[in-house]
Amino acid sequence: MKKVLEIKNLVKNYGTRGFQSRVLKGIDLTIYQHDFIAVMGPSGSGKTTLLNLLSTIDKPTQGSVFLDGTDITRCSNTQLSQIRKDKIGFIFQDYNLLDTMTLQDNIALPLSLNGVSSKECIQKTKKLAEMFGLREHLSKYPYQLSGGQKQRGATCRALISDPEIIFADEPTGALDSKSSRDLLECLKMVNDNGQATIVMVTHDAFSASYAKDVYILSDGMIKCKLTKGSDRKEFYDRIIDMQASMGSDFS
Amino acid sequence: MSMLKLAFQNFKSSFKSYLSLIISLSFTTMILCNFMNLVDSGILNQLGESNARNVAVIIQVLSFVIGCFMLFFVWYSTNVFLTKRKREIGIYVFMGLTNQRIGKLYAIETIFIGLTSLILGIGFGALTSQLFMMILMRISEITVEIHFQFSLQSGITTALIFSGIYLLFVIKGYINIVRSSVLDMVSANRQNEYVKQRKILLVFKAIAGVIILVLGYYMAIKEAGIEVMGNVFIAVVLVVAGTYLLFGGLIPLIFQSLAAHKRFLYKRERNLWINNVVFRIRKNYRTYAMVCVLMLCSVTALAFGFAMKNRYDGIVHFENTYTFQVISDASGYRQEFASLIEKNNDIDVSSDIEILTIDSGNTDNPYAMPYALLAYSQVKKVAEDTGMDFDLPEPGDEEFISLNRLYLMSLTNDLVEEIDTINRQDYRSIASTDTPYLGYMQENMDYMIVNDRVYDELQIYGQKMHLYNYKITDASHFETSVKDIQSSEHCLGLVKIDPEREEIAWIKILYSVSIFMFMVFVFAGGCILFMKLYNDAFEEKERYAILLKLGISKKSLKRSIADELLFAYVTPLVVMSISSYFSVKALGNVMHTSLLSVNIVSVLVIVIFFVICYLLSLVIYRKNVGI
Ligand SMILES: Nc1ncnc2c1ncn2[C@@H]1O[C@H](COP(=O)(O)OP(=O)(O)OP(=O)(O)O)[C@@H](O)[C@H]1O
Ligand SMILES: [Mg+2]
Repeated sequence: MKKVLEIKNLVKNYGTRGFQSRVLKGIDLTIYQHDFIAVMGPSGSGKTTLLNLLSTIDKPTQGSVFLDGTDITRCSNTQLSQIRKDKIGFIFQDYNLLDTMTLQDNIALPLSLNGVSSKECIQKTKKLAEMFGLREHLSKYPYQLSGGQKQRGATCRALISDPEIIFADEPTGALDSKSSRDLLECLKMVNDNGQATIVMVTHDAFSASYAKDVYILSDGMIKCKLTKGSDRKEFYDRIIDMQASMGSDFS
Repeated sequence: MSMLKLAFQNFKSSFKSYLSLIISLSFTTMILCNFMNLVDSGILNQLGESNARNVAVIIQVLSFVIGCFMLFFVWYSTNVFLTKRKREIGIYVFMGLTNQRIGKLYAIETIFIGLTSLILGIGFGALTSQLFMMILMRISEITVEIHFQFSLQSGITTALIFSGIYLLFVIKGYINIVRSSVLDMVSANRQNEYVKQRKILLVFKAIAGVIILVLGYYMAIKEAGIEVMGNVFIAVVLVVAGTYLLFGGLIPLIFQSLAAHKRFLYKRERNLWINNVVFRIRKNYRTYAMVCVLMLCSVTALAFGFAMKNRYDGIVHFENTYTFQVISDASGYRQEFASLIEKNNDIDVSSDIEILTIDSGNTDNPYAMPYALLAYSQVKKVAEDTGMDFDLPEPGDEEFISLNRLYLMSLTNDLVEEIDTINRQDYRSIASTDTPYLGYMQENMDYMIVNDRVYDELQIYGQKMHLYNYKITDASHFETSVKDIQSSEHCLGLVKIDPEREEIAWIKILYSVSIFMFMVFVFAGGCILFMKLYNDAFEEKERYAILLKLGISKKSLKRSIADELLFAYVTPLVVMSISSYFSVKALGNVMHTSLLSVNIVSVLVIVIFFVICYLLSLVIYRKNVGI
């Protein structure tokens, strides 16, 4: 299977010399095509930090991150933005849709900026919106949409340029359980269809149970990895057990 | 902590973001101060009494215009500032401050800004007053002695005017804050209002705007007699209203349609910047319209100055056609006067002509000036003698050609057909000319050129006199011949032209002042757009942060910003250029000159200045949004 992302001995320190704190203490991880990975961990365990390093938003103190064969820790800023544009899709907790344009324009934005023909942009937008049940909302502005609709829209936007990998930081963090489930079903569907490789950060066991693998991060290290069997329900119970066994600091 | 201290701290910590406001406020103060000083300093008295009086009137009118402009400008900038500050100091609501106290905080802070601007403005005004006068006089080609002179009086007047206007808007802001609800304050930045506007409304506004604008253009250049002033006034109102409707209707309509047209929209950066324009225009259209009107004023002011200058030069040239004009009772003395003049001077050209004045009793309006008649062949002879152009057709028996002076300004923009009646016989004017065949004598009277037969017939109804005209080689030596000419018994009257006299020098000041006003207005227009974009950039910051997070390259964001800002500068410029063509043409009609070249040059100057502003905005905008 094709390796999409390979992380070797990733270390991240914050703060200035003398007052440094090590947030990530050497993480190794390999992500293959069509993976759906959830990273869990207590608050402050470094989940967001890890995701920022993987998604080129931040640079590690030590270690290397290979995305599709290139070491992104050694890339120049222009190369990084090229990589972000071509290979990475983002889903944020607070959607980050632009309130100046309609949902359709939001979804089409990355593609149209890449210089893809407008015809193709329109086709792809429509297709994705159909898949995510957003067809009749395309001409609405973000302020006219519910949180769930917004997040699904953001997911469409992340998917539209066919990225190698999608990073999602607490995508369900601001959603109610119904909207969360809708979104997660969608993510699972695109993953099952072979359309996307997904790395999702969450502290919610329910969300994590939609992934194929769950990594538990604690104190800057990966404590363990759980792999889904055939049943999501059973997987969910195992995650809960794991959380319980790790103690009270796990929220 | 006391309110005063808190306000001062706020002022200090965000001084940088107030900078554009302070600079523009102090700039207007400086201009006003300079103008006030020009009158108060007494330098104008060197121009002679009547000129000084005229210039003082002009400058007072201009000070009034600048005062109005200041009112407008302060209103605008404090408004922009208020929305921005409301958001920032709105946070104090959470700290339990009442609206009154927040309002007070705002007022004190704003007063700090006003005071700083005032002090800077008057300070720089005093420093630049001499430079200002020097430049003004240089452009006017007037030599006066300039020494550093700043009258305290003008400083105080300026301060009073500025403080009055400024306080008015501080109080307005205070009331606004006190009256606003808590929600208003906290969510002043959540303008998640309707982005799109109702199409029907836009279509209506667009159509109305275009119609009103076209109507305004038509009124401006429509030929009319004495009612031209009324027409111009209506045209001004229509053009201003039309411009506002255009920016409020047509332009949003166009951009909304573009944004709805996805095949067009999804091409590179268009998706970003066109949507941004649609989003922004709702709030910004007044600014664009205002800048447009301001630029229009500036171009028209400049054209006016140039037209006046043209006329002035024309009049000077006109009056200097001859050095001496001798009025005599008999013909045939041209040589005699010539030899008298040649005692001390050389004659360049000379001519003579007979003038027939018809008594008012024989005309249709006995109370008016008597009519003065010239014979066609004699005028032709004058033209031959002096080398002036002559392409007038010979009038028929009931026709005449009117020979006019050059008008500085006339109140009509077309030549109404004239009919004069002499001895119950109507004569119809078939043409008119302002070639100075009669030199200075043409200044005070209009002449009718009739054919020789008619001239002979009418001789019995009036008196004849003879005019001998001479232009000498060195006109400044004219004094040396005056006595000689007057020694002749046939000299009933003598007109002598001093080439150095400055009877109407105030027009030259008007001219330079108009150039100056042009620059001020253009500068102000550029400033307003710049300020608007500067503030918008802060609101856009978050959006650009999102776009960067999404991995959109800085290069495409820069391109999108470039396009968006280009729109902000180009649209007012284009609308203004079109409107200016009509306003300048209207002016040219009234002044009977073509001002197209002035129009083109002034638009080009604005374009150049706007390009500079645009590039500056681009840099600042990028910096403010963090790209
Ligand atoms: N820019 C920064 N400078 C200094 N320390 C930071 C910075 N960002 C994060 N940290 C610290 O690093 C640690 C990990 O932060 P991180 O945001 O990765 O946690 P998280 O796992 O995402 O937590 P949560 O579930 O609450 O979002 C925290 O202790 C935090 O204080
Ligand atoms: Mg986090």
